[in-house]
Amino acid sequence: MVVSSSSAVKQRVALVVPSGGAVDDLLTSILDSESWVIQRAVDNEHALALAATEPFDLIITGRKTLGQDDVELLRKIRSTRAHVRLIILTDKFTPGDVIAAMREGAFSYFSAPFDVSELTAMVHAAMDAPCWDDGIEVLSATPEWVRLAARCDMATAYRLVQFLHGVKDPSIPETDREAVITAFKEILLNAMEHGGHFDPRQYVEVSFVRMRRAVVCRVKDPGEGFSLEELRHAALSSPPGDPFSHLAVRESQGLRPGGFGLLLAKNLVDELIYSERGNDVLLVKYVGPNASQVA
Amino acid sequence: MGLQILVREFGDVSILDLRGKSTIDDGESEMLDSHLRKLVDKGVRKLLLNLADLNRIDSSGISIIVGTCASLRRKSGELKLLCPRGRVLEVLTVFRLLEVIPSFDNETQALASFEPRGYFAAS
Repeated sequence: MVVSSSSAVKQRVALVVPSGGAVDDLLTSILDSESWVIQRAVDNEHALALAATEPFDLIITGRKTLGQDDVELLRKIRSTRAHVRLIILTDKFTPGDVIAAMREGAFSYFSAPFDVSELTAMVHAAMDAPCWDDGIEVLSATPEWVRLAARCDMATAYRLVQFLHGVKDPSIPETDREAVITAFKEILLNAMEHGGHFDPRQYVEVSFVRMRRAVVCRVKDPGEGFSLEELRHAALSSPPGDPFSHLAVRESQGLRPGGFGLLLAKNLVDELIYSERGNDVLLVKYVGPNASQVA
Repeated sequence: MGLQILVREFGDVSILDLRGKSTIDDGESEMLDSHLRKLVDKGVRKLLLNLADLNRIDSSGISIIVGTCASLRRKSGELKLLCPRGRVLEVLTVFRLLEVIPSFDNETQALASFEPRGYFAAS
């Protein structure tokens, strides 16, 4: 059987709603570099009309529209194009918009101000990712308590962390937000690697709880668990003043240099509490005017 | 890619100017690891990591720095740090790495601190 080159190579097409300025230039540069065709819509209404006639491989919204309007666009497009990859860029948003975007199956969410290098990396991820849209499932969500399941793979972890960056809860100081996200990422990756063995058939369960004076993240992995006392290969076990001592243990076990994630997470939040089995962990960060006294 | 690496040489010291982030997200730490391994495999034994423009690091980046430092020490080499700032400095402090890896705020002083076999020995 002979397959012609024209039928074997499908030109991939992205639909972009203009953001203006450097963001448009950046997106054009990324998509051009991978030989994607770019189609532009003047606004969300136009984007919806175009998406009704063509199955775009990627859609990127413009940052000038409201986050909730972009979520509505996503919901309408996914009612007919269930697997569309859509990245939301927005200057105007609420934390609730981010949760709605996850629930409706957005690929990612960037709320201003955002890091251009992060956007570049996420667009590349969207262009490359196979079978992406069952990676994050929102199990339940209120403004105070979000519970979700995340597939055990790096791409899903990366997407979930970017959603967290998008929340930007104004009542939490930026340094505290960054600390919680960094700690969460370390624990999430540990859970996916050691509990889920990066097996995409496995899921970790994640909860985010916003209390009046604290932010709590819970990560439960599908593994057998472990005992902190047994972690001689982790930096957490190295005595003060000798941060390299666990490396010898790792080397003897044939492990790459590493084991720093737990210690980093422990230092970034106020409390890191493991369950008896060790496959369920709470990260607690106190926030608000008296946070340091509570901690 | 969120990490740019510029390699300069000063006598027998290789200076790596790091700009961006060294995290696991998009393979940045892997890229740093690859650069450092190539240099060590080529015989470089004196490394200075310029962190002035590195704005984020996670445990993967720390692992690369510590792993390279330990590897060089086994080969009688040295790894030193230059100008860690902001969040990167905070993370290095968490791990108390600045107590075991020499760090400098001034490039001239950092270069002078290496065993004098290169430029400073000749001048």
